[in-house]
Amino acid sequence: MNRPLLEITGLSKHFGGLRAVDGVSFDIRRGEILGLLGPNGAGKTVCFNLISGVYKPTAGQISFDGQRTDGLAPHVIAGLGIGRTFQIVKPFAHLTVLENVLAARGIAHYRHLPKIWSSWKTSAERREALSLLERVGLSELADRLAGLLPLGNLRRLEIARALAVARTLLLLDESFSGLRHEEITQIEALIRSIRADGLTVLLIEHNMRVAMGLCDRLIVLDHGRKLAEGRPAEVRASEAVIEAYLGRKGSAHAA
Amino acid sequence: MSGYLITLGTIIAINAIVACGLNVIVGFAGQISLGHAAFFGIGAYTAALLATQAGLSFWAALPCVLGMSAFIGLLLGVPSLRVREDFLAITTIGINFIVEAIFNNFEFFGGALGIGGIPRVGMFGLKLRGTEFLVLCLFFLVVVMVVCWWLTRCWAGLACFALREEETAAASVGISPVRFKLLAFVLGTCMAGLGGALYAHFMRFIAASDFAFPLSVSLLSMVVVGGMGTLWGPILGACIIGVLPEVFRPLVDYRILFYTMLLLLMIRFQPGGLLGENSAARRVLAKMRPGGRS
Repeated sequence: MNRPLLEITGLSKHFGGLRAVDGVSFDIRRGEILGLLGPNGAGKTVCFNLISGVYKPTAGQISFDGQRTDGLAPHVIAGLGIGRTFQIVKPFAHLTVLENVLAARGIAHYRHLPKIWSSWKTSAERREALSLLERVGLSELADRLAGLLPLGNLRRLEIARALAVARTLLLLDESFSGLRHEEITQIEALIRSIRADGLTVLLIEHNMRVAMGLCDRLIVLDHGRKLAEGRPAEVRASEAVIEAYLGRKGSAHAA
Repeated sequence: MSGYLITLGTIIAINAIVACGLNVIVGFAGQISLGHAAFFGIGAYTAALLATQAGLSFWAALPCVLGMSAFIGLLLGVPSLRVREDFLAITTIGINFIVEAIFNNFEFFGGALGIGGIPRVGMFGLKLRGTEFLVLCLFFLVVVMVVCWWLTRCWAGLACFALREEETAAASVGISPVRFKLLAFVLGTCMAGLGGALYAHFMRFIAASDFAFPLSVSLLSMVVVGGMGTLWGPILGACIIGVLPEVFRPLVDYRILFYTMLLLLMIRFQPGGLLGENSAARRVLAKMRPGGRS
């Protein structure tokens, strides 16, 4: 039971000569909110894409609950109960908000050939999907086309969709970026309540203040390598992190 | 009803069946196909060969026709997993030309002479002709529409819609792109095969040129004009594309001009098709049915 939920060992992803992720190792512990920080191009989203199966690693291992998942296809990894959002939102634009969530709830059916022929237009399914929308505060927009929503609502929709999939682990890729202050506060509360329900959360965040306040632990990446790891206070005090974000003390060129 | 109208109606019904199949591939699953006539032809040739060489009745041959269409749909659906959009369009055009060339050049398929002497469809001891055959085609059109309607309500259909909208996001919620694209291809080609079998037994003579690339283009036009991804769009499109040449018969020299203008007007004013999202027809329907969202 004390085994970490996700173990990443020596993970690398190279695109030709570019080492986007280079020998990164870390664990995600059950029930924590772990933040992945770093400047632009540090390899945070690539890390996400490796965990969720969009990319296959050049080297290294990913184990989820003791099972190797590196090299598995994205839909198989989703089937393990790992849900994710996207930094550049990817709604099913011509489906309604409710249908977006229903499409994700279909995860219980997509793998079983007889079940894919059963109807999703049932009141029970609608209720379940609506309760997810309620949770992210979108239930009033359930019948709108997803493509017409503003960014803030799309970020919530992505969380609802990922929640329909995530039984154990939720990956949030910059769910706060481009949002107003009140919206950020609401989503912070939402993430806390998700963790209170027993889910583990890994999130990428640019906004230092938000990440420091929300996360139990932080991992800082820079140029594809792990720069620091620890509690927010420890990371904030780390020389290496300050250097990566603000440049070397006394050096002429600011980063 | 005059023979002329019955013939026109039968052709439109058959085209509507085939267009519904194309709509499953293009409109539901978002995989462009410009080679649908090939699958129509594969159904027609399978039915014709089974009827003339093996002596099977239309009904006995039907499962084989559907099976063959499904199998070849599966086989040729594989390219759609590797290539997307423009490249998929080109690949499917290629498939159309290859299939047509095979029909045209192999003695087994009757070569350039085609296959003649295909018997009429028999049912309850009588041979279906004229109105009876039209009713048979309409019956199958209803069956195909029921399948399409169910597809809009079942998880398989929702998975296809999600794939059409955003493949990466669809995979992230557990939808296997391979499985559901192939599923759409197989369903679509089965419907084309069914249409092909009806066509063979209706014309009673088929040749490779009946299933050439221009037919693929007009099938796609039916789907686009009617409204991609809608239930009734392909039917409306098949009616319009089927009736227009008859209406414009006196203007035979200007026909292409009219088609072109029609297509450009569609693209400019109703890009989602006549029954598509936000189309004029749909807005009128919504007004007539207060509170209803289709």
